[in-house]
Amino acid sequence: MDIVASFKKQAQARDLSIVLPEGSDERIIAAARRIKDEGIANPIVLGKPEKIAEAAKQAGVKIDDITTLNPREADNLDQYAQAYCQGRDDITVPVAKRMVMKPLFYGGMMVAQGQAHAMVAGAANATATVIQAGVLTVGFAQGINTPSSFFLMVIPDFQGEKDKPFIYADCAVNIDPTEEELAEIALASAASGAKLLGTEPRVAMLSFSTRGSASHAHVDKVTKALAIARERDGSLAIDGEFQADSAIVPRVAAKKVKDESAVAGKANVLIFPDLDAGNICYKLTQYMANAQAIGPFLQGFAKPISDLSRGASIDDIVNTAAITLAQA
Amino acid sequence: MSDTADRVRKVTADVLKVDLGRVTDEARFVEDLGAESIQSIELIAAYEEEFDIEIDEEEGTAVKNVGGAIEFIQNVLDNQ
Repeated sequence: MDIVASFKKQAQARDLSIVLPEGSDERIIAAARRIKDEGIANPIVLGKPEKIAEAAKQAGVKIDDITTLNPREADNLDQYAQAYCQGRDDITVPVAKRMVMKPLFYGGMMVAQGQAHAMVAGAANATATVIQAGVLTVGFAQGINTPSSFFLMVIPDFQGEKDKPFIYADCAVNIDPTEEELAEIALASAASGAKLLGTEPRVAMLSFSTRGSASHAHVDKVTKALAIARERDGSLAIDGEFQADSAIVPRVAAKKVKDESAVAGKANVLIFPDLDAGNICYKLTQYMANAQAIGPFLQGFAKPISDLSRGASIDDIVNTAAITLAQA
Repeated sequence: MSDTADRVRKVTADVLKVDLGRVTDEARFVEDLGAESIQSIELIAAYEEEFDIEIDEEEGTAVKNVGGAIEFIQNVLDNQ
């Protein structure tokens, strides 16, 4: 089965809800209709009633049986404003109330407070704004302070194995991560891999060097990040620094990595040293290996929040919803 | 205009925790006043609360300096 179809099937078997805060966008309404009809989740669409009605008309779908909510008129704004301020002394409750009136932030608070399992947004908002909403509402997962992103790459024929999935990170958000940030990208990607790969994540910290075969500050950054990640989570199968072939090809790993490694030659989560490498590699893999590149998905948050590209199609939104829910 | 301008400057100084004297019309939020992206969205909410108006986030975050914010908010108030 196609990997996206399998995530849809998983979601259908659970009783999940997903908040879509961009209710004035007709693609969002059409996607909400599909999410409901296909039984993937109970969609909750946010926005002003007249805007939602107009978008539904544009999309040509009926939304009578879909939950819609206007954050500005919500009866729990005070509660959300209090929750939003919790642990902070640099914002007042009235300003927080203004924040949670904004659909993206109201949606985030719904996820934070357990009224929805996940949020998908970004069809009508910049990625930076979706990230802000995530940081300020659900916050980061434990031990993480860096929002990052990953692609789920599905390789049609990988060394004889059909439809082999990999996690690639970070290919979209952090341009030149510090060693600390790189460690957090690795930890967040391991968590994403654990939810989506269907097998134990084996995380490779990639470089142009394998086990000290080259000396350079760029290599040092990767080895330091590896040390930080190991210190944070001693149980994780993470190793490096590896060249890409040492990471994923057993034959090469056997030659280049002489010591014991749970990762060398069998990595399924690939951590690139910077955005140049990550972005270039995902696109090369996509076009040269005819791979499916699903994403980017945001990661590092305490609860699942995903970003869409501005040009997202209805299919993209439905698929993103299914994969985001798989992380819930 | 001057009342709006004074209130915008005060809110800006409070939220970004900078001296009022630094909040000149030319002062840019990020480069000159050290606003992080997260603060910029809460600064918009603080303006909304101060003037009891609604500001579109996209349009709001497109404003880069204090003078621009004063003009933007005055426009919203004039069109109410």
